[in-house]
Amino acid sequence: MSAALAADPVVQAALHAAGALLFFSVAVHKLRDLPGFRAALAGYGLLPERALRPAAAAVPAAELAVGAGCLVPGAGPLAPLAAAGLLLLYSAAAALALARGRGAVDCGCGGPGGPRPLSGSLLARNAVLVALFGVCALPAAARPLMWLDALVATSLVAVLALLYAALDVALANAARLRESGGPAWSTR
Amino acid sequence: MVDPLSVSNALLWLAVVALSGVVLALMRQIGVLHERIAPAGALLGREGPRPGEAAPVLEVEDWAGSKLLVGAADPDGAGTLLFFLSPSCPVCKTLLPVLPSLCAAEDRRVRLVLASDGPREEHEAFVREHGLERQPYVLSAALGLAFQVGRLPYAVLIDAEGRVRARGLVNTREHLESLFEARAQGVASVQEYRARERRVA
Repeated sequence: MSAALAADPVVQAALHAAGALLFFSVAVHKLRDLPGFRAALAGYGLLPERALRPAAAAVPAAELAVGAGCLVPGAGPLAPLAAAGLLLLYSAAAALALARGRGAVDCGCGGPGGPRPLSGSLLARNAVLVALFGVCALPAAARPLMWLDALVATSLVAVLALLYAALDVALANAARLRESGGPAWSTR
Repeated sequence: MVDPLSVSNALLWLAVVALSGVVLALMRQIGVLHERIAPAGALLGREGPRPGEAAPVLEVEDWAGSKLLVGAADPDGAGTLLFFLSPSCPVCKTLLPVLPSLCAAEDRRVRLVLASDGPREEHEAFVREHGLERQPYVLSAALGLAFQVGRLPYAVLIDAEGRVRARGLVNTREHLESLFEARAQGVASVQEYRARERRVA
């Protein structure tokens, strides 16, 4: 992505909105099933037992704050950078858990439709998200806007959201495939 | 006037949004399919002797008129696959050619017994058409009652000791195979096996 395109107000607006949408949706998923998220956190095996409860509450709270920050106009690069930081933190935790051989735990990062175990694809997805938030942190240039810009911005948000959701389901499907690829039931 | 390139661009964006929606729908569909194609076994109801229980022992007459003991312990160590059928059931006919090869493929010896009921005349054409004269073909309402067979085709796998090992409504070759597989794995049904797997996971 060239610098001029990355700084375009349409791209910036769409990325901010999509980032807010992402963090709101993952926070809501966690808040709707807090015990499930606590169990997923415990599965990482990185936090002591008594830290689980506050951590399980702090993570969605931080996500809501980051999501809201992305929507404040002219707030500067703070919210996108915080978002990238959170994602890097998640990736580090996942990489550490993976390195310790805890590949089968649920990442606690997905929506409904089954668990998404920790995997390399999850880390790759996070890396792409971090890169997008990096673009999001660039200062926006100003230019006169026309009617098409509104359509492009909303479409871009919709496309990013839909593709993210599709990728999320694909991760859950890959886990299912691995599960049934083994000798779940041999018919000889 | 609207710039034609803008129009084209707008339409393309709409198309990309629509296509992304389709991709998401397809992904979800794949997830649903994963759930659906999970192995299904013979349908085990609550009726009749449960797997693991002793099979009812009955003396019946086969097609040629010789006596046959069903459900008793077999001194030769052969199990029995009881297959309940009816000449008026189309699924039973499709499963008939599968049965001998299935029994032959088993490591342990399995004797195939075809069971039905009703007047002999109704079965004569059926037996001739499918060449079943040499198979043990039993006409006995008591046998169906003893195993409480409600729907057809129904199969019961009895081991050499006279215990029911697996049974259920069978509609496909996979269902039939699931009976043998259930015996090999020491479970009552594939459904029980899957449930156990899920508890472990």
